[in-house]
Amino acid sequence: METLTYLASGFGVALQWHNLLYALVGVIIGTAVGVLPGIGPMSGVALLIPVTSSLTSGLGPEEAAASAIILLAGVYYGAMYGGSTTSILLNTPGESSSVVTTLDGYQMAKQGRAGSALSIAAIGSFVAGIVSLIGLVFLAKPLSDVALKFGPAEYFSLMVLGLCAVSGLGGKSMTKALIMTVFGLLLATIGMDNVSGVTRFTYEIPDLYQGLEFLTIAVGLFALGEVFKTIWEGESDAKSDIKVGRVLPTKQDLKQSAAPIARGSLLGFFIGVLPGAGATIASFFSYILEEKWSKHPEKFGTGAIEGVAGPESANNAASGGAMIPLLTLGIPGSGTTAILMGALLMYNVQPGPLLFNDHPEIAWGLIASMFIGNVMLLVLNMPLVKVFAKIIETPVRYLLPSIIGISVFGVYAVQVSQFDLYLLIACGLAGYFLSKNDFPLAPLVLGLVLGPMIENNMRRALTTSNGDYMIFLEKPISLAFLIIAVLWITIPLILKMRGKKVIVSEEA
Amino acid sequence: MNKTFDRYGSIIFAIIGVFFIVESTKISTSAYGSQVGPNIFPMGLGILLVLLSLRLFYETLRYTEAPKKETGTYQTYQTKRFVLILLCTILYAILLESLGYVISTFLFLLACFNLIEKGKWWPPVIVAAAFSGGVYFVYVDLLQGTLPGFPTWLGF
Repeated sequence: METLTYLASGFGVALQWHNLLYALVGVIIGTAVGVLPGIGPMSGVALLIPVTSSLTSGLGPEEAAASAIILLAGVYYGAMYGGSTTSILLNTPGESSSVVTTLDGYQMAKQGRAGSALSIAAIGSFVAGIVSLIGLVFLAKPLSDVALKFGPAEYFSLMVLGLCAVSGLGGKSMTKALIMTVFGLLLATIGMDNVSGVTRFTYEIPDLYQGLEFLTIAVGLFALGEVFKTIWEGESDAKSDIKVGRVLPTKQDLKQSAAPIARGSLLGFFIGVLPGAGATIASFFSYILEEKWSKHPEKFGTGAIEGVAGPESANNAASGGAMIPLLTLGIPGSGTTAILMGALLMYNVQPGPLLFNDHPEIAWGLIASMFIGNVMLLVLNMPLVKVFAKIIETPVRYLLPSIIGISVFGVYAVQVSQFDLYLLIACGLAGYFLSKNDFPLAPLVLGLVLGPMIENNMRRALTTSNGDYMIFLEKPISLAFLIIAVLWITIPLILKMRGKKVIVSEEA
Repeated sequence: MNKTFDRYGSIIFAIIGVFFIVESTKISTSAYGSQVGPNIFPMGLGILLVLLSLRLFYETLRYTEAPKKETGTYQTYQTKRFVLILLCTILYAILLESLGYVISTFLFLLACFNLIEKGKWWPPVIVAAAFSGGVYFVYVDLLQGTLPGFPTWLGF
């Protein structure tokens, strides 16, 4: 019952008029970001951090953090939804988790059923969002209670597990993913050491004392990197000649998709909770599952509505599920949640088990606003689907330089330093070349965000054990985490050696 | 996969790792009683990075040369356009503080709009002016934020 009281007070926060407005703005921008080619959920959220921080500058620190995270989370799940629109109408997925949607969605659109596909995707996303919310409500408190009993050694091992999970599944080469993780952790050590106050790797450069700013690196790697890619490699001419047609699904459509939506939601939620396995993997698994389950597997790939309903529900449920480790354990399981965590840290809010005790209005306000955001998405998207489809036609001529402009504005507005602008451009170039050569960027950001926390916990644990590294193996929970971490890295390696195909998460 | 990039990448990451190892030995050890000072973590990571880079280098030796994919999606690389826009961005970053936000942003956007696509001269001018002026007005006048204003030699 206690949980319900908290949830009610969360709704109290989320229903304040300015938070409703932030949620609305968030989902609209998010949907636009998902539809626009070239910016995915990660760069969208990163780009909007500075904008939200200036929007919320008039509020008190707690309220500002709650409003900002409500807006940013809105962008996140709005983008997950918007990505499916381009998959269905253009056969070009807006982000990697809607790749599977192209298989049947585009076929449906060619048969003149684009409207049904879009609305089923919206309904599926809505149901999935609600399912993952219910899961979040019931799992949040117990999980954070367990996590409160963890000491520094357990935390250290848990974070190692999180990093290993993301690296193990991130991208085509595990070596490269691990290199990026370690590199991110190393970048995080630059600046003032917050245990002893000693400066590290600063070389008397004043700009480095604070450390490299997370926001600058994230915006550079993702937003600028993507823009540079499009400028260099040329843009695809995205013009849709497909008519959306009738928007409401028929009774037959609804009947066929009900079961896939339910299965996709549950599957997606549990996959989303696991660190490393994100929305992309969830949507793939759901598609495979639906094909196996179906009485007419031959229909898949030719416009089966089950092939849209299942994966679309799964990827949305996964993005809701991914909030659980972030909020309860303070460990982001994907690139986008890492960026959300960076945003919370900017507001001096530490995600983790204490979040529910120290800042209940932020934690529960966010949970409640996700519910409201999902309702808004459904209400907005059914009638506005045609409007959103038009966004695709934004001329690149204006889009690309404007994204650079927003990046520069955002970084300068928050940091007020020219050094960060140079760092931004450097990160943009690095982001382009690294991701082009299959060096995944998400592990780097994750390392950068988790770096200081991992180090602190490691040193606290070692201080209590007088420098004895065995402490990580002597505590049973810590040992268990480390064993799982090792398994997570080695099992895919063994499977690969045996010549099995391993599904990797290219989402970031 | 790009063998050359990966090979040079692994060498660069190894150098970065060595750099962090060497430099972390120079960090003054902490003053209080703990045996784990601020140098342990970066040093350990540096060693890991070197090991992983060696592993990547070893992997590049075993790459089977994939047949060059020229079929299907042939991409036209627009290197000239990219370099020019990159230069514009760098110039924009350099001039932002001395020229002020509105003027530098207007010039940057106008240049980039025309670099990406040539067309009628007036729509880019309007979009660039609306963007630079709009952002400045909303952020500085409405939200009371700080952005470099107009240069003083303009007199206003």
